[in-house]
Amino acid sequence: MKQRSFLLYLPVALLLTPFFLAPMAVIGTESFSGQHGIGAEYVKVVTDQGIRTVLYNTFYVAAMVTILSLLIGYPIAYVLARLRGRWATIGIFLIFLPFWASTVIRSFAWMILLGRKGPVNSILLGIGLIEDPIRFIDNGLGLMIAMTYIMVPFIVVPILNGLRAIDPNLPRAAAVLGANPWRQFLAVTLPLSMPNVAVGCTIVFVTSLGFFVTPSLLGGDLTVVSMLISEQANRLLDWPLASALAIIVLLLTIVIFALLRLSQLASRRRGKARSGVFA
Amino acid sequence: MSVSEKRLWAAWSRFLTGLVGAILIGFLVPILVVVAVSFQSKSYLSFPPNDFSLRWYQQFIGNDDYRSAILNSMMIGASAAALATVAGISTALAVVRAGAPGSAIVSALSIAPAVLPQIVLAIGLFPISVWLGLQGTLWAVILAHAVIGLPFPFITVCGALTSYSNRIEIASMTLGANAFQTFRLITFPMIRPAVIAGFIFAFAASLDELVLALFLSSPSTRTLPLLLWEQLNFQVTPEIAAAASVILAVTSLLILAATLLPRLDKDN
Repeated sequence: MKQRSFLLYLPVALLLTPFFLAPMAVIGTESFSGQHGIGAEYVKVVTDQGIRTVLYNTFYVAAMVTILSLLIGYPIAYVLARLRGRWATIGIFLIFLPFWASTVIRSFAWMILLGRKGPVNSILLGIGLIEDPIRFIDNGLGLMIAMTYIMVPFIVVPILNGLRAIDPNLPRAAAVLGANPWRQFLAVTLPLSMPNVAVGCTIVFVTSLGFFVTPSLLGGDLTVVSMLISEQANRLLDWPLASALAIIVLLLTIVIFALLRLSQLASRRRGKARSGVFA
Repeated sequence: MSVSEKRLWAAWSRFLTGLVGAILIGFLVPILVVVAVSFQSKSYLSFPPNDFSLRWYQQFIGNDDYRSAILNSMMIGASAAALATVAGISTALAVVRAGAPGSAIVSALSIAPAVLPQIVLAIGLFPISVWLGLQGTLWAVILAHAVIGLPFPFITVCGALTSYSNRIEIASMTLGANAFQTFRLITFPMIRPAVIAGFIFAFAASLDELVLALFLSSPSTRTLPLLLWEQLNFQVTPEIAAAASVILAVTSLLILAATLLPRLDKDN
């Protein structure tokens, strides 16, 4: 059995070697094959003002979307975790319904909603909150709203799982010891849910770094790194630069997930050390 | 805890639940807006729509571009999901049951396509697809989508395999069944709901994917998201909203199938 278990890897090897691992090798070599000498593309990425702005925009948008998703997603997960039976099912169904609509369609929906004469501007003008329509699509605001809308389910699911895994006796014990509900939440529930908050934030941040569809449709003048890579490859045919940018995105993704893993291992070790004290 | 404190907390709790309920219902608004504007007769998008017509649906049905794009998306989605599911099942068996060496690395690689930005894969796959002579054929997109679909059946089948003990399979082997018979008669019936769910997730991932299709397809292998994308960049018309509404209806049926089929399957 053990010897032949290698055979079970055959399909995945046939799929991933040529169509996943080889592409990574290709962009790796391509990124060093520019006419300006080895490593010149990377120097350009670091020094070129335009590229630096694009990288800054990408990080800024990803960070804002992560914060917004957390602020909206945590209360949703908290309420859903306390619901039981049919209401819990309905709540999870509702959060997943838009999740299934294609990204192009959801971005299109926000193009309608946030247009200069769209419903959001009409309502805001109607109730007199603003005097001129807000140009959501030019200033990156519309992009962040649409991306947050798309990303919220990704952060709700891990936090919901974390909150459900908390032993209900722990907040109860805190209550017995005299903690009011706010204190129970801040001292017990919130810290215990932090590992899953970290997972959710990582997923949202990394996914946001790679977003292409929504920024292209709603970003206005704002360019993010995926759009730049696509433009360099498709329109300017500068494959070495596109590949160098892709390698940087790839490395960032790996580093962010490695950091998450390290923090998980560290907190597990701390947890073990702590339980050792009581044992 | 004092009575007033209790009351304050109860009020806050109710407020929070109400707020979350409102947010969840608000999440449906963008989708409903798309459906609403698809039924207007004007040729530019206006909201609220002040008349009702099926004009854009008629145009959508008569549009050959959409017909071929839907057909392409269905063929690519089904083939990619099938490849991803076969690879996913086999890898999950190797990792969870057979204790094959290197399982940690293989697991990480099998999940990686779900988190890797698609533009990175697209940049690397384009030259390979050209070298292999796949560029512009359906196979270029099918194989790329099989890679990004792989994590879903892999994760669902791993979950199913860890949820029951391997003693049943050992019993089957002890009673004289070979590995293949054991898989067909014991393992597969046990993991079937997970296989179906994984297949549908992989299919949905392919139906939603744009960036790889953008790099790897030709006008004749254009997928549905790609066509929508091109139209949106060219001119925003209610016809796109009509197409989007039809797609939304079809995907909703798909999700319903994904949630109901495994349950029905379990009952049998």
